[in-house]
Amino acid sequence: MDYDLSEEQKLIKDTAHKFLAKACPSEYVREMAEDKKGFTQEIWDEMADMGWMSLLIPEEYGGFGGKFLDLAVLLSEMGYYRLPGPFFSTAVLGGLTLMQAANDAQKAEFLPDLASGKRIFTLAWTETDGLYTPEGLKMPARQRGDEYVLSGTKLFVPDAHVADLIICVARTEETGNPAEGLSLFLVDATAAGLSVNELDTMAGDKQHELIFNQVVVPGDRLMGRQGNAWQIMKKILLMAAVAKCAEMIGGGERVMELVLPWIKERVQFGRPVGSFQAVHHHCANMLTYLDTFKYLTYQTAWRISEGLAFEKDAAMCKAWASDSYRKLVALGHQAIGGIGFMEEHDLQLYFKHAKTSELMFGDADFHRELVACEMGL
Amino acid sequence: MDFQFSPEIEQVLKEVRAFIKAEATQEMLEETYELGPLYGGPEGRKFIQKFAARGWLTPNWPREYGGLESSAMLSFAIKEEMYLAKIHMSFVAAAMAGPTIMHFGSEEMKKEWLPPIARGEIEFALGYTEPQAGSDLSAIRLRGDDKGDHFVLNGQKTFNTTTHVADYHWLAVRTDPESKRHKGLSMMIVDLKSPGITIRPLITLAGWRTNEVYYDDVVVPKKNLVGEAGKGFYYLMAALDFERMFPLAAYATIFNDIVQYAKETFVNGQPLSKNPLIRQKLAEMEIEIEVNKLLYYNLAYMIDKGQIPNYQASMQKVFATEVAQRIMNTGMEILGLFGQLKKGSKRAALAGKIERHYRSSVVETIYAGTSEIQRNIIALRGLGLPAS
Repeated sequence: MDYDLSEEQKLIKDTAHKFLAKACPSEYVREMAEDKKGFTQEIWDEMADMGWMSLLIPEEYGGFGGKFLDLAVLLSEMGYYRLPGPFFSTAVLGGLTLMQAANDAQKAEFLPDLASGKRIFTLAWTETDGLYTPEGLKMPARQRGDEYVLSGTKLFVPDAHVADLIICVARTEETGNPAEGLSLFLVDATAAGLSVNELDTMAGDKQHELIFNQVVVPGDRLMGRQGNAWQIMKKILLMAAVAKCAEMIGGGERVMELVLPWIKERVQFGRPVGSFQAVHHHCANMLTYLDTFKYLTYQTAWRISEGLAFEKDAAMCKAWASDSYRKLVALGHQAIGGIGFMEEHDLQLYFKHAKTSELMFGDADFHRELVACEMGL
Repeated sequence: MDFQFSPEIEQVLKEVRAFIKAEATQEMLEETYELGPLYGGPEGRKFIQKFAARGWLTPNWPREYGGLESSAMLSFAIKEEMYLAKIHMSFVAAAMAGPTIMHFGSEEMKKEWLPPIARGEIEFALGYTEPQAGSDLSAIRLRGDDKGDHFVLNGQKTFNTTTHVADYHWLAVRTDPESKRHKGLSMMIVDLKSPGITIRPLITLAGWRTNEVYYDDVVVPKKNLVGEAGKGFYYLMAALDFERMFPLAAYATIFNDIVQYAKETFVNGQPLSKNPLIRQKLAEMEIEIEVNKLLYYNLAYMIDKGQIPNYQASMQKVFATEVAQRIMNTGMEILGLFGQLKKGSKRAALAGKIERHYRSSVVETIYAGTSEIQRNIIALRGLGLPAS
């Protein structure tokens, strides 16, 4: 066993930490939450230069050929700084789906541009029921000759306002079994009949309602076998969930750093607040939440990297991290007191991040149910 | 990063499993279930010595003292494997006294005590707690008067759980009567058959026995003093650090029984395991058991890297013991009214195991440093917060 990052991973972490300290101070995070686009091209280009979007992409497509664990390390730093922008949509959702579902021609066409940061991707999954499961996926894709026509609504699509390509799941067939008949399509963001409407979110991240009004998708933009998407999507959902947990680790680390110095300085009743045993115990619990979901996340990311079965681990990971990060922030609020409730204090950024991360890709209840299934219950 | 055992460890674990299959007789398991500690009866003692003969009781000790010069990882892994087989692997001599002697004892003392400990021939009982010294062990009073070549001991210990079956007392004694608090304490090894020792049972709400121990003019030879006189508190704290590792596997096996019960028990025509609330609870326990495993093996990883776990050991202790209680409470909830039925009762479910361990689990968060003390350690040592 080895609980430490490799030298390469430490380098990824340090480089990201240093870069983001300069590029992504909390003023930038606040500004981008208000900004229409939500990130600056300058930072995006620098990230591309450092090879961040190419980290997971195989070398033959212009990527770095890194492991999922490397990506987890990078995402953790992004979570620490609350980096806004379409990295997760592009590199995680777009990258993973393309690598899992696309055929060779599609990979050759899209992965190099994804790796270089030239094109932005996202994934349109949930619909008006707000469900990740097949029961919630109803939008039809009707085959018409050599093309498909998509009509319906997708919700909570991240970064769709800046995406060049939207990977979209739609129903090509009704068999009575919701897990059958789903297909993945690569849709041009500029396609006629597609409208993108902004949703106003708690954390200031950019999510959208997408209305597909008779959107025509050429047949060569079907990813994988028609009707066979759910098997792939299940995997993507779990990998995205673990990637989100990695981001949450950094957020949790930052919260510890916001809380500890403050309570060592802040004096009440003639002594530092951090010397009270009630506060000691809150902080001990915070560190326990952080350490436990960190280890669980790294173990799962390692399993994915090694090509081992990870379904149960991923579900355990997202269930545990979702609850732990939220509880960690809640105790941080208790320890810091009133000032932490102020918009000007950075703790609010992580409070919102904790909740939105919990909701994305299945919350704790959702993933505990998956664990229950894996246990054969 | 790498979260699997090395092939060498996997190989030993395979041998351990085969050994358990061959040697853990029904008689031995029942004896332990009744008596508590494994060495409490003749069958258990026989078993330990066979087990120890393979070096498995002290795998990370040097060969000259009966170890395998292997890793803490192996030691932790064997311990977990034994608990999974429902064999109670808790040893004061091998896990606490032995390492302390190895770190702080004289050469003579090492030669005298370590080999028989490694062979599983002798076992120690902890002698720390006194009526006025619980979480605050610096309040220890049991007095040891220096009489030249021996000490004479007078005083009282309490909650010294295995003194009625162990061979020696691993005893914290105030050897300097003028001293206050942490200073003036010494650690010594006392033969529990010494004249002047009276052991009186205290029965716990879990049904098993702990003890009060009275010392009246008990003579202890000087050579049984561990390390230096007056440094006992330091040794005691170090030994507590050796003790804080909780594989939780004993409770994990009970959890497996609970899962099985939920799958097989039909209520209103469907198994309990199809009830969404029960599914959530069982999944949560499954996750927490996995989390504990990661905390547990991190301790071994740190030790093998040459680090001394401190806040990590406390964190693991709190986590494991609180999970243990949650497992038992979950078991009680799932069994419902049947949960209260004791072993042997008509209609008892899972042979009354849940009822019994629900009671036992109460003490987990109290002994070996309460959850509150552990959280203080995490805050002070792990986070550098100012002392209260």
